[in-house]
Amino acid sequence: MFFENLSEIFTTPKYLDIFFNGLKLTFIISVGAAILGLFLGVIVALVKLTPKENKAMAIPRLICDVYITIVRGTPMALQLFIMAFVILTIRGFPQEITAIIAFGINSGAYVAENIRAGILSVDIGQTEAGRSLGLSSRITMTKIVIPQAIKNVIPAIGNELIALIKETSIVTMIGMQDLTAAAKNVGAGNNLASYFAPMVVAALFYLAIVYALTFAIKLIERRLRASDKR
Amino acid sequence: MISVKSISKNFGDVKVLKNVSCDIKKGEKVVIIGPSGSGKSTLLRCMNLLEKPTGGEVWLEDKMITSADPYLHPELVLESATAKKLIAAGMESGAAADKIIAEKLLKKNEGRAFAAALSAYNAQNTIPLNLARQKMGMVFQHFNLFNNLTIMDNLTLAPVELKLKTKAEAKEKAEELLERIGLTDKANEYPSRLSGGQKQRIAIIRALAMEPEVMLFDEPTSALDPELVGEVLSVMRSLADEGMTMVVVTHEMNFAKNVATRVMFMADGVIAEEGTPEQIFTDPRHPRTRQFLHSVLNKD
Ligand SMILES: Nc1ncnc2c1ncn2[C@@H]1O[C@H](COP(=O)(O)OP(=O)(O)OP(=O)(O)O)[C@@H](O)[C@H]1O
Ligand SMILES: [Mg+2]
Repeated sequence: MFFENLSEIFTTPKYLDIFFNGLKLTFIISVGAAILGLFLGVIVALVKLTPKENKAMAIPRLICDVYITIVRGTPMALQLFIMAFVILTIRGFPQEITAIIAFGINSGAYVAENIRAGILSVDIGQTEAGRSLGLSSRITMTKIVIPQAIKNVIPAIGNELIALIKETSIVTMIGMQDLTAAAKNVGAGNNLASYFAPMVVAALFYLAIVYALTFAIKLIERRLRASDKR
Repeated sequence: MISVKSISKNFGDVKVLKNVSCDIKKGEKVVIIGPSGSGKSTLLRCMNLLEKPTGGEVWLEDKMITSADPYLHPELVLESATAKKLIAAGMESGAAADKIIAEKLLKKNEGRAFAAALSAYNAQNTIPLNLARQKMGMVFQHFNLFNNLTIMDNLTLAPVELKLKTKAEAKEKAEELLERIGLTDKANEYPSRLSGGQKQRIAIIRALAMEPEVMLFDEPTSALDPELVGEVLSVMRSLADEGMTMVVVTHEMNFAKNVATRVMFMADGVIAEEGTPEQIFTDPRHPRTRQFLHSVLNKD
């Protein structure tokens, strides 16, 4: 029964189509949110790392603190609902955009914390040595601190991306047809009338994506380590 | 060369430096000694503003690195609203300035004239911090070589980034410095492959690559295994022989005796005593100095 259903999924154009479209949507939301999240995360991390004495940045720092607190303190599903039913979709934005923005904003907070932790983990002596030579804080950051921080940050950001991809599955809750919804749809009574095989197919797709990403991150890590021969 | 004028430094409520003044003249080798926690590192780090003094001024030759401390300038204080009020009330200007300085009233609402006088003074006398730091080399207890760069890149990064030298010139200078300390073969290694003594010698020539006018050392041998101390001290000694102006915080009393032109003894955030090495080591005046020398010299 399971194997018959499995072969039916892969031989019926309609089911393949549903899965393909679901995969496409999951991919679009993940990539869009990852780009937005990385962008936001870098900016928020840099703002939060400005020295306390820099009064001009006091308000941006406060905004970033509030942002991180709210994002990390509330459920993702709720954030998505607010984005859809209160802010964006209800004003006519396409659902894809809503999802990308909701997940991007969520991911940005976690990425920011990862980047900040990575930069803070670099010995303060490295910065002091750079500054004592007369280098500006920008050059010290870009030539000395960030190259050393990246090694610590890449694995954490990789994990964040993996979590993001899996988390996008909650878009089914606002009726979007992503990979998870596709499995449900194919398994429904008017189609296969059995959920087991389509769920397994969806799971395999997620696993393949996560595995590919994990592999890519390992590759990058190895490259970084090789480049400083330590 | 470096003038420290009445600096104080507080960490929260802890007063680590209390109104410390000193002058480092060109060619001097000043060694700072004193018990742990007395503020030696903090004083040294205030000289290149790695720590920002809470009050007072630091000057490099005829330029100020900090911004002006109004309390050190009676002529500026006279421009303040409070001073003008006191003078209008019949007080003499000198006494008015003294009174304000004594009471340290100068915080806010001292008027445009005062703000303008202060910022004009700053504009005329300050040197950009990064420029000042180029002229002051610093060597740290824990070396702080750039871990992501080869030794060669450690030596050439700053001169090239700051456009003081072309890449080729910086490399030539670095090779010359490496040869001087006998580590030419390490040029393409990363810092993690070096011994502590080698790292510290590289850290010294990294500072020298900027061709500084004065070198600051904060316990350069304290993190080293005993058998590696000598090689670092001998580089420092040769630097002293060449006439480099040096300020050295150290527990190496023999270095202080043989190389210093002046020894400062710090205790509890002040310079308790200073003098020639002969005077400090054979005839210390201050009881704290005697007690300190007694404990360190008997340990050796
Ligand atoms: N960043 C800081 N925050 C808070 N307190 C500090 C800080 N740096 C130094 N202190 C305190 O200031 C005091 C003086 O410190 P400093 O490092 O100048 O002493 P030191 O004379 O160099 O001692 P040592 O011989 O142990 O190096 C100490 O009590 C120390 O705990
Ligand atoms: Mg110290």
